[in-house]
Formats: sequence, structure tokens, C-alpha cells
Amino acid sequence: MKKRLGIISLFIILFIAFIFIWNYSYKTGLKKAYIPIQKERQNIVIPSENGVFLRSEFALDYMNMPVDENHQRSIKTYYDNRAYSGAPPSIPHLVKEEMSMGGNTCLQCHQNGGFVSKFEAYAPVTPHPEMINCRQCHVAQMTETIFKETNFLKVTAPLVGINNALPGSPPVIPHQLQMRENCLSCHAGPAAPKEIRVTHPERINCRQCHVPSDQIVSDIEAFTRVNTNENE
Amino acid sequence: MYTSLTNRRSFIKKMAALSAMTAAASMFPGILFADEQEKGLPKGNISWKKAPCRFCGVGCGVLVGTENGKAVAVKGDPKSPVNKGLCCVKGYHSIMALYGKDRLTKPLVKKNGQYVETSMKEALDLIASKMKETIKDHGKDAVSIYGSGQWTIPDGYAASKLFKGCIGTNNVEANARLCMATAVTGFLTSFGLDEPMGCYEDIDYADVFFLWGNNMAEMHPVLFSRLLDQRLKRGVKIIDFATRTTRTSMAADRSILFEPQTDLAVANAICYEIIQNGWVNTSFVEKHCNFSKGLTNMGYGLEDNYSFKDKPEKIDFKAYKKFLEAYTPEKVEKISGVSAKDIKYMARLYGDPNKKVMTLWCMGLNQHSRGTWANNLVYNIHLLTGKISTPGNSPFSLTGQPSACGTVREVGTLTHKLPHGVVTNKKHREFAAKIWDVPVENISSKPTYHTVEMFRALDRGDIRFMWIQVTNPMVTMPKLKRYRDGAKKEGRFIVVSDIYPTPTTDIADVILPSAMWIEREGMYGNSERRTQYFEQMVEPPGEAMSDTWQIIEVAKRLGFEKQFYYQPETHIEEIYTEYRRHHDNKKHNMAPLEVLKSQPGAMWPYVDGKSTKWRFNATYDPACSNGENFHFYGKPDGKAVIWQRPYEPAAEEPDKEYPYWLCTGRVVEHWHTGSMTRRIPVLHKAMPNGYVELHPNDAKRLQIKTGDSVKLTTRRGEITLPAAINQRGVPAPMQVFVPFFDEHMLINDITLDSFCPISKEPDYKKCAVKVEKA
Repeated sequence: MKKRLGIISLFIILFIAFIFIWNYSYKTGLKKAYIPIQKERQNIVIPSENGVFLRSEFALDYMNMPVDENHQRSIKTYYDNRAYSGAPPSIPHLVKEEMSMGGNTCLQCHQNGGFVSKFEAYAPVTPHPEMINCRQCHVAQMTETIFKETNFLKVTAPLVGINNALPGSPPVIPHQLQMRENCLSCHAGPAAPKEIRVTHPERINCRQCHVPSDQIVSDIEAFTRVNTNENE
Repeated sequence: MYTSLTNRRSFIKKMAALSAMTAAASMFPGILFADEQEKGLPKGNISWKKAPCRFCGVGCGVLVGTENGKAVAVKGDPKSPVNKGLCCVKGYHSIMALYGKDRLTKPLVKKNGQYVETSMKEALDLIASKMKETIKDHGKDAVSIYGSGQWTIPDGYAASKLFKGCIGTNNVEANARLCMATAVTGFLTSFGLDEPMGCYEDIDYADVFFLWGNNMAEMHPVLFSRLLDQRLKRGVKIIDFATRTTRTSMAADRSILFEPQTDLAVANAICYEIIQNGWVNTSFVEKHCNFSKGLTNMGYGLEDNYSFKDKPEKIDFKAYKKFLEAYTPEKVEKISGVSAKDIKYMARLYGDPNKKVMTLWCMGLNQHSRGTWANNLVYNIHLLTGKISTPGNSPFSLTGQPSACGTVREVGTLTHKLPHGVVTNKKHREFAAKIWDVPVENISSKPTYHTVEMFRALDRGDIRFMWIQVTNPMVTMPKLKRYRDGAKKEGRFIVVSDIYPTPTTDIADVILPSAMWIEREGMYGNSERRTQYFEQMVEPPGEAMSDTWQIIEVAKRLGFEKQFYYQPETHIEEIYTEYRRHHDNKKHNMAPLEVLKSQPGAMWPYVDGKSTKWRFNATYDPACSNGENFHFYGKPDGKAVIWQRPYEPAAEEPDKEYPYWLCTGRVVEHWHTGSMTRRIPVLHKAMPNGYVELHPNDAKRLQIKTGDSVKLTTRRGEITLPAAINQRGVPAPMQVFVPFFDEHMLINDITLDSFCPISKEPDYKKCAVKVEKA
């Protein structure tokens, strides 16, 4: 008798377990495959510090260099050479060695700059000489014509002289700094466009006074407090 | 990945730069920024008046332009010997901190959980009556004031006089306990007198600069620019000795990384090398130095009511030498991760008799669970080589707040201090009581609570009333949750004087609107003992009132009209003149107010109409009286102390469960908790929120990329922040760094409240943390 009771209760337990497991798996099967999509946090861009002081050894030279009035670049020619503000400039001259990827060939003139009599101009200095596959981004302009007209709208580049918060306060940086962490390469020396040439290149720690304003990527709203204690 | 710029620099270029610099130096003496700046400025009706900058402890001279009763522009003061016309981004935009839209303009009193506007008179009455009630029910030591290194000198003086002199409690502390207390105990143990012996002019003479745990390019940018200037002109060397790769490392000639806490061992190894190679300045050490050792295994202050008192014991040079044998460069390499070669390189720079060396440090050494020791060890190096108190040879402790020196350290707004001397000394109490016009019995001879213990006492209920001025402890206290919960308990009454709502005003029962900086009159004292005066230039908004006058009003209501006799128009002058009497001696004389008004500050000791640039050096310091070249007159026998201090681990080191080090700190754009700078659009846009920096290898292993949410967990709690990889700074592998300015990402909720047992300053730079992708 006892034995039979034992077997019966065992089957009852197994049956309950079956119902339970079947029920659970049935219910789980009903659920939709759904992963909630979280709103992505807006990333702020804090520029890297790599290369910030790269050309500082020339700062005194830049300071002492007389201005060559006749061969200055202007901000207009600077932007004319770009599809939009921040785009890689195109190569406005023939390339010496068509087979090279850039590196040594380009850097001969564009690492440290200097006057090129053939072009009657100073070679602009690259802010990222460590990236040597130059022509993956910088391409030559082989023709003046276009294939088809484009509707692309070239937005106005940041203007000079309106970027300070207070009269006389140091202007903020109105452009992105990625790959352009080294300020002196574009803002100092004979190839610097005259409107953006810095008056005090010897101060080398530029971002001590000039901080980026991130408006280009996203408009950062004014700081507002959230009182964390209110709900308690 | 990172290359130091000098690797690229060739010898020839250096020579060329050197000749260019000779030309440049003769053409442009000093910094030529000021002219450039003035050129573009509107000449209109702007009137310019001088003031010290409101932000860090460098104490730059600024000229504030006002028009129609509003501050509209800032420029560097070309006449200031501190910054010679240059500022940093915070300084240039500092006046915008006056005009945030949510500025507090009316007193607010909490009634049934709601803040209700009231009049200043009613609010001050309420504070005074609450203080009386608390003293009656719970005793004098149940009321306290917690101030700041941003207090002006008169603010701190009035607070100290009211609490220590009149009420009779030593419950006076300031947030400088969280940043400079260790520097103080370092100076006192090694030299017997606080504050640097040298000055910023040392920068113009030094050949080598050691930045010890100090990201100077971001935290003291204007002084750092003077270093960079010297490098361009004279080719000086800058060595960055730190735990994290920063903007300073980018600028430095060499960047040497060490494991957190092990700089104690490295400093001893440097001393070992100096002695081993015969670089000791024997005559200097024999004439001017003693050797001492103190207690070890001091603990970390993690438990309530922890107390520690060092027992100094004199030793001889032989014993010290024997002690250093445990710190050979080879042995220390294993502890610190710094190669023996690098240790020897640093020792050689310190030891070279032909090189003048300046060591600069700030929070890396001070917020250190063995901070006093660490300060002592740096002084050891300078004392052994005799490179101290002469132009260019200078161990220099930098400060982070505009008047951490001027107010907290010189006025003495710490529990054990008096303006002159300490409360435990009967003569000092008598001296202070006489000037304060109070019975000497009023001044208690027993120090009460240091900052961490004061907030613990508030939690326990030993303190019932706390007045917080010019500081934001509900962002800055370590292990913050405990102290926030404690402050919110029943039966506590908290008064907060501030200019904006902050997490600290959130816990207040009364909020007083303060007049800040140039909305009132005052003085600050900077890192180089320079006291600077500023006048009121604009009207404070609404009913906002200076912190000094708030204290005076409450003191009068408490019945101390006799001691607080000051008149509204002249109170700052009256207080300063009275305060000067405490320091009326050759070792600490302060310049009279008319001198401070006429020039960009003066350095104490101000003797016979002259600032003292190098203390303890008989050539420059009239207080030297032993007939020798140097006289360390802070100690009774006139000798400085070389301390035998071992390496001991930090309070909480990474383990299996919490495998990373957590370090906290600041960024160039924001001033401490950001309550002012985040309301300046330029600065907020440049640095809108907090983040956690990881080493790229750790990030890769954890599959974390920039912007991903990262969960940090310590034994105190957890917090989620966005990751920053290869951005502002790069921590060493298995370390993370978080800036503390963001009140919406309170990193201090999870930091540890361990402190240096001698200085009682918390170690914000080290605790163990778990890092996960959230």
C-alpha cells in the first residue's frame, strides 16, 4: 500500500512539474522578440591632447618672422579650396610622383612649409603629419568642369572676429578639432591665412584661453540644475 | 602612441631657437600679450579697475571693465608680476559668473519643505536665534561654521573672531582642509612655518622643473605658460612625474608614470641615489638640517573619532642612510613601476650642482593618504642638495583656491589655528584674546573637529547647527552619501550662503544670497604669499550681501556689538587693520592697505616697505638672525628637518573584486564644482558634462568606446558615466579618472573618506573600483 502511494505521489509531482514547465515555456513563447531601443546619449567631443604642442619649437621663429605681404593667403582662398568648412582641402597643383601614396612626397613641402617659387606661395603646413596616406582624403583637381550640376549647399564657414563672448576676451574655437589639434600649423607661420594668423604664437598652450565651442556638431544647451533632493 | 615633442627636436634647432630667443628677449621683455589685447578693445566708456582673479590660487592680476554699472570685459593686468598680462579661459570669462539667470537674490527659508522668500533682516534674526537656542540646548560645540579658501580675508577673520573668540568654540573649518591641509602640515613638520619659502620668480631662474603629480597645463595654466616661456627662451627642462598622461605630459620634455601611492618610495630612492653619488650639499646639511623619524603604520582615519599624534624622534645621518638602503632604485622599480634608469635620471637632475631645480605640486601630493610624508620627502630632496630658498631652487606647493593661503592658512580658519599660532598654546590664546577684546578664557584650548570629522559629528548629532559659506560640500565631500544623509537628519539646522542654487543649498534650512568678488570689497592671498586687494566695482543683485557683513550682522544679534564695532562703509579696512596686528612681526608682517590698493599686491613678510621674495635666506629675509646664510627660524634651533618616512600602501588598493584604481580631479574649463563656471556659456559648451577616462587597452577588452555608458562600483556605491577614450587624458592601464565638476554625476558618492592621519586631508586620488559596461 505504502509503495503504491509513493508511486502515485511521484507521478502527481511529475505531472505538476510538467504543467508548470509547459505553462512557462508556452508563455515565454508568446513574448515578442523585442529589445527596447534606448535613446543614444549625445556624445560630446572632447578633442584629444595628442599633438597639441607639436610645432611649439618653431613658436619663436613664427613670432620673429617678418610678414611677407605679397604672398599671404587669405581666408577666402583657404575656404575656396574646400568643399565645405572642415572638408579636406583638395590639391591645387600637380603631384610630383603619381605613384606615391603621399607620405614623403607631400611631407617634403607640407611638413614644415616654406616658399615655393614655382607657385609663388608658401606651402601650408599639415596639422597631422603622422597620417601619411595623404591622398586618401586629399585629391587633385584635374579639371575645372563638372559632370552634372549639384544641389549641394555650401554653408558659410565660421566668420572671423565674432567668436568672443566679451569685448577683448579670447575667441572660442569655432571649428572641430579632430585631426586639427595642433593650432600652430594653420594659425602661425607664413602660410597661415592673414585673417586667422595668431598675434602671439609664442604662447603655445593655446587651449588654456581658447576653448572649443561645440555648436557645429550639436547645440549644447545652457547648464540647468536638476534638484536631486526634490523627490525625497 | 604619444610622442614627446622634444624627441623631434634636434640639437641644431635648439641652438637656432636659442639665438632667436636672445633677439626675442631683448625685443619683447616679458609677455607682449597685453598690448595686443588692448588694441582691439572698444575705447568707449569702459572703466578698468584691478582685482585678483576669482578662480585658482595662482592669483592672476586682472583688469575688470565696467560700463553702466555692469562688468563687461576682463583683461590680464600687464603690471601684475604674477601673470604679466595673461589669463586663462576661466579668468577671461570670469565676470560672466555674476550674471547667471538663477542667481540667488533673496534669502530663502525652508517652511514645511518649501523654500519661502523672506527679508534679509528676518533671515538673520532666525539664524541668530537658532544659534542661541542650539548653544543653550546642546552647548557651544554644537554650532559650527564651514568656510572656504574662497573666503576673502575679512570673511575668514570675522568668522574666526565670532566663533573662536566670542562664542568660544573651535568649530571653525574650511574646505581648504580638503586641498591644502597637507601642504600646511608638510611645511610645519619640515620648517615650522607654513607657506612656500620661494615665489613665482623662481620660474625665471630654475633650469629643471619637476611637476610632481600635477597637471599644471590645465590646473595652473598661467603659471605653466611661464614655464613654457622659459623653455622657449632658455631651454629649461620640464619633467612630468605623474600617474596619468595629460596635456602636461604632452608639453613636458619627459613624462614618467608611477603606480599610485608609490611616489613615497621613488622620493626615497632619489634621496638614496643623491647620497650614494655624493651629491649631498654636506656643509648645508650639517649647518641647517636635523634628521627625525616619526610613527609609522598610522592607519587611515576611516573610523569615527579616529585620532593620531606623531611622536618625532631625532636620528642621525647614519641611521637615515641605513633606512634608505631599503629604497635602492632597483628595489623601488618593483614597487613603483618606474624603471631604475628613470629614477637615476631624476636623481641626477636633482643632484647636479650646476642645475637649479624647482619642484611644483598640488593635489597629487596633498590629497594623498600619506600626504604629509610625501611633502616631507620632496623637501628632503631639496634639503639634502641644499637647493632651497635661493632664486630658482624652490620646492613649491601650489594652491587651488584664490585665498586658501590668504584666509584659511594665514587667518587660520581651521579648528586648531588662531591668526597667530595655535589654540593649544596659552600665549597665543592670550595674544589673540587681547586683539579680539575678549576674555582669554573664551578661547577654548582644545581643537574640536577637522572637516571630515565635523560632517561625521553632524551625522552623529554632536553638531546641530552648521553655517556653510562659499563652498559646496555636497559635491566635494568624499563618501558623500553618508554626509548628505547626515545633514538631512531631523534636528540639524543648516545655513548656506551662496550665489547660486547648488546641491548644498538643497540641504539648507536657510539660504542667504551672497555678494561675490567685485560686488564687494576684499582681499585674497595667493600661493606665493601675495596679498591682493579689490574694491567693489558693481552692485550686488537684489538683497545679496557680502559674507563678511552676514557674519557681522549675526554677531551683533548674538550680543557681540563691542567686538563687531565695524561700520558698513569702512568695515573691510577696519577688519584688515585689526587683522594685521596679529602678524606684527618680521616673520609675517602684512603690507598696509594703502600699499595693497596702489599696487598688484605685496608678499609677506612685508618689512620696511619691501616684500620678501625668499624666506629663510639672509640675503633677502630680514627675519634671519643667526649670522649664517640661511636661517630656518620656524624651528627653535633654526634648523629644517629631514624626515625618515617610509612607503606605506594606500587605504584601499585594487583587489580581485574591485580591480581598478579610481582617481578624481579637475579640467581647465571648470572651477571645482562648476557652480560658477557651468553658468558661463563658453565654458559649459567646451565641457558640458562629466565622463570617465579609461586606458585604450582596458576599453578594448571591456568593449567600451567613447560615449558608452560605464558603470563604476566601489564599496560605497555605484555611478554611471559616459566613457572618454583618448580624449583629454589617458590614465595608465587598470586605472580610471573622473572629473568631479558635474553635480549630476557625483563621483564623490563613491570615493573613500580615508585621510592623511597628520593633516586629516582626504585622499581623493585613490580607491578601488570595479568598471563595467553599463
